Amino acid sequence: MRIKILISLGIFCFLALSAGGCVGGQQKPLGFSGVISYDGILYLGSTDGKIVAVNPSARNQEMSFPSSDGEWSFAITISSKGISCGPSSVPVSIYGTPTVVGESVCIGTYNGKVLMMSSSARSQNLPFPRTRSGEWAYPRTEDIIEPIVGSPVVADDTVYVCSSDGRVYALDMTYGDEKWKSDPLGDKLWITPVVEEETVYVSTFDGHIYALSAKDGSLLPWAFKAEAGFASSPMLYENTIFAGSFDRNLYAVKIGDNELLWKFPGGNWFWATPVAKDGVVYAGCLDGKVYAIDSKTGNELWEFDAGSPIVSSPALTDDLLVVACDSGEVYALDIFNGKLINGVSIDAPIRGSLCIQEGIVYIRAQDNCLYAMDVGKGKINWRFPLTIK
Amino acid sequence: MANLWNLIILDPMLNGLIALSSLLPKAVEFGLAIIILTVVVRLILTPLTLRQLKSTKAMQSMQPKIQELQKKYGKNKEKLQQEMMKVYKEAGVNPIGCMWPMLIQFPIWIALYQSIMKALATTPENLLDLSQHLYSWQIVNQALPLNSHFLWLDLGQPDHTLILAILVGGTTWVQQKMTTAPSVDPRQQSMSSMMLLMMPFMFGMFCLMFPSGLPLFWLVSTVIGIATQYFIGGGWGYLRPSSTKQSALGRGSKRAL
Repeated sequence: MRIKILISLGIFCFLALSAGGCVGGQQKPLGFSGVISYDGILYLGSTDGKIVAVNPSARNQEMSFPSSDGEWSFAITISSKGISCGPSSVPVSIYGTPTVVGESVCIGTYNGKVLMMSSSARSQNLPFPRTRSGEWAYPRTEDIIEPIVGSPVVADDTVYVCSSDGRVYALDMTYGDEKWKSDPLGDKLWITPVVEEETVYVSTFDGHIYALSAKDGSLLPWAFKAEAGFASSPMLYENTIFAGSFDRNLYAVKIGDNELLWKFPGGNWFWATPVAKDGVVYAGCLDGKVYAIDSKTGNELWEFDAGSPIVSSPALTDDLLVVACDSGEVYALDIFNGKLINGVSIDAPIRGSLCIQEGIVYIRAQDNCLYAMDVGKGKINWRFPLTIK
Repeated sequence: MANLWNLIILDPMLNGLIALSSLLPKAVEFGLAIIILTVVVRLILTPLTLRQLKSTKAMQSMQPKIQELQKKYGKNKEKLQQEMMKVYKEAGVNPIGCMWPMLIQFPIWIALYQSIMKALATTPENLLDLSQHLYSWQIVNQALPLNSHFLWLDLGQPDHTLILAILVGGTTWVQQKMTTAPSVDPRQQSMSSMMLLMMPFMFGMFCLMFPSGLPLFWLVSTVIGIATQYFIGGGWGYLRPSSTKQSALGRGSKRAL
């Protein structure tokens, strides 16, 4: 009888473990990395934990991947802990957009690592990190910092990155050594910092905008406190910080002032980082609208209803504003009046930031595909699945 | 259907939970809100719980008769069923009756579970999803994101200290033990003993996997369940059979008097 009980207990425990491991308690972090273009090559993170370098002209010609023209992919995995129903190593989630400086590609991952990759080493598939090529991982050991959601920023040979432990890290770009890390700035920092003239600006979940010294990470005297936490990364334009808040307002704060310049109410959070041009701030909102706001007064100039939450930051060309929304619609709007010029639809949510290169919009959608679209003409040029082996 | 569920049950509970959090001290806001909301939901469901307890108690009081029947018609299952139904009918007890209050409570517990998981929003995807469930109330939006720290726990992460797992496992065992009647049928008895071990163990294991906000809700709910059972169900039940017998005898003698 006891053996029976023990066997049943064993089966029960196994089922319990499997259920917990496989089903989990919350939605799996898939990541929504954006696309960046550098020297004609597109760099992005995939939903299966890869950093991919894509040459648009090779994709246009439907060449096999990777072509010899600067294309490569690098899978970032971590070993899974404990009992699980999956493989022993699992891909990391990538939310930030890679930052590219020359040969170097930098990314922060959701498992709490900052990686610096060399395009030449990765295209040769050499073991990572190849220190001679300037590759490194921070922290160097098996240690990790808390999840990184924002993108790294490179300025003056230093990589600045924010982590969920509430700290800003400054790392040496060549060797990955820690130059400094700030004191915890309240809650998680799921943002991309702004670095300008030796100052690092961050917006926090507890409603602060802090200015830190880029030299040593110390807090500078000026800070701003809002009524609610900030949902978006800060955007600096004409000495003013713009950031979306959980209280459904877009805040404009003049650096050095303790008073708010203005706040603009939306129908939900302004999650996406706004963009600005010619005195106008363009902000996508989770209420499904994009708003054009006068950067000085906070007056609304026009709005466009995309019909679905806007998670990714809009992108600007000379006379077009390109907006993508969670339902997979991409719209090209007249920058001056918000009139719809054309649109393209794909069958997957779009959450990563857009990249516009020579009139073509590049988008990584949540179906793990990279799309090249001529939104002005309303057509998809090509679609490249990122499930590369 | 999903929209209707969100509109009627999930969203009000989720927004209520967040609004409640914003009224509490920041350091313990969400943990305390989970506890308070669990207590409130338990209180609202008290009539149903009492009805369920009453039915269960009536069923338990009939156990000696049932056991006698089991002994008598152990091999003839069909006859046993007929006789048992006859006994239930005579006593005016519906054996499925005690299931209804439990079934009605079930969606509310699911909504409470979903509210806690949604409000915790541990990943960016979860936070984005949360934004689509919130009312435009200032009290709700200004409270976000919630402080997930409570005592030694990060409510958005599993508790690896084992404390919560032991507490949840222990209280689940106590609650089950209080209500599980011993059976004369050895097969049924071994099944009950197995369940008595497995359920606490399983919940204990879940505590190591799920964000600790959820085990906190289980713990509070189970403790309230034990208290209800103790005060309304009449003592420790089958956890201390002697006390059950004594109280039953006491009641019997009082009745005789």
